[in-house]
Amino acid sequence: MEGTGPGAVALSPWQLVLAASLVLIAGGISFALRLGLEKRLALASLRTVVQLLLVGVILRWVFRLEHVLPVLGVVLVMTIIAGRAAVQRSGRTFPGATWRAVVTLVLSAWLTAVLVTGAIIQIEPWYKPQYLIPLLGMILGNALTGISLCLDQVLQSLAGQREQVEMELAHGATRWEAARAPLADAVRRGMIPIINSMMVAGLVSLPGMMTGQILAGEDPFKAVEYQIVVMFMIAAATSLGCMLIAVLVYHRLFNARHQLLSDLITKRQN
Amino acid sequence: MTEPLLQIEGFAVAANGIPLLRDVAISLGTGERVALTGPSGCGKTTLLRAIAGLIDPVAGSVRLRGQTPETFGWPAFRRRVILVAQRPVLLEGTVCQNLSRPFRYATAKTVFDEPRALDLMAQLLLEPGRMTQEALSLSEGQRQRICLLRALLAEPDVVLLDEPSSALDDAAAEAVDVVVRREARQRGLAALIVSHERGRITESCDRVMDLTSAKGAA
Repeated sequence: MEGTGPGAVALSPWQLVLAASLVLIAGGISFALRLGLEKRLALASLRTVVQLLLVGVILRWVFRLEHVLPVLGVVLVMTIIAGRAAVQRSGRTFPGATWRAVVTLVLSAWLTAVLVTGAIIQIEPWYKPQYLIPLLGMILGNALTGISLCLDQVLQSLAGQREQVEMELAHGATRWEAARAPLADAVRRGMIPIINSMMVAGLVSLPGMMTGQILAGEDPFKAVEYQIVVMFMIAAATSLGCMLIAVLVYHRLFNARHQLLSDLITKRQN
Repeated sequence: MTEPLLQIEGFAVAANGIPLLRDVAISLGTGERVALTGPSGCGKTTLLRAIAGLIDPVAGSVRLRGQTPETFGWPAFRRRVILVAQRPVLLEGTVCQNLSRPFRYATAKTVFDEPRALDLMAQLLLEPGRMTQEALSLSEGQRQRICLLRALLAEPDVVLLDEPSSALDDAAAEAVDVVVRREARQRGLAALIVSHERGRITESCDRVMDLTSAKGAA
């Protein structure tokens, strides 16, 4: 199969079909236990195939062009989708949440990815799509989880603990003093998944990028080196993203008169 | 004519877009206690929240010693005009930690005075041992008195008390009344006290203002 690494086993279309039959096992269990998941499982499988094939076609085209503009176009679309997903996963929202999540991802994920490709791995040029796009994809996937958890926590706290926050404001606390505890809790919650992943890295399962490199025939130690860079990169982007979204939420939900605008927080209709 | 300590003029408040009170005018002198009465839902709590600047009024202005809250800065203004909400809000931690918390804010000009806190606790019929008790394990009536105490320790110019005796028995309500009166007499504390019915505390106030008509000039 074109594009596989030197040590990777090339997969034929039949082998992909065989892999798809694995989903039939899950579908069969769902049917037997009357879980009612068959349709959703089928749709999810179809979406996986279509989306990945489409991405494959686009990436092959972008990789061949090796021009900065298509690369930026792809990463922008990835970032907007990630920003929307981060907000949609939160149980509550507020006006302007999506663009704030996108800005957060641009500032945290892009900055980290460019730093890694340009300064750490030292790719020439820094936007080389074979490196930038998968690395940014990994950062976005993890950062959006952290940002959505952080967003969910901070909105839940400010909506549910309005009386506590206003009590502090009523006794002369500045908006920052009143908001600091809920914001810190939210950043902490957003960081939990990546910290947990780092704690058990390599012990419970081999991380995705490392697995991919080993499957592609790379020396395990070299794969480990890359994985360490990836884990640190994700940790940096997630922590930066959580802090940024918390600060942006703070600026939207507290005004210059040091009032909490909790009315702006609404529950998401699922 | 001496300048009033707290001056509220042309005040109008609304909740969820529904107009509640309008043309409210209140003038509060040093050491003066004014009771605001009116039926439930007429907007008394909203009025106090707007005076404290936690929400914006629809119209009107507040002045403390002739100056707008913006002149002080909103946190510093709220330090001088403290709202004690009807539902007593305490945070996790001991009573002592709750009482000393406002002294950690940038607007605090003094330090937490534990002997004074213990003295006021005794006056409010709370045993000294409560100081180290978990605040969230207190009864509603005890919490209400701790919240009043927390506000008084910050030595504000004005306290806005929303139904300060709603969870208290007669003895505790009497103690609250005595403490507020003493603070007014000794320190010049002014108090705006909201109640949905006339009771011990409102009766002992210097003036009672009925908000039923939604118009007032006290």
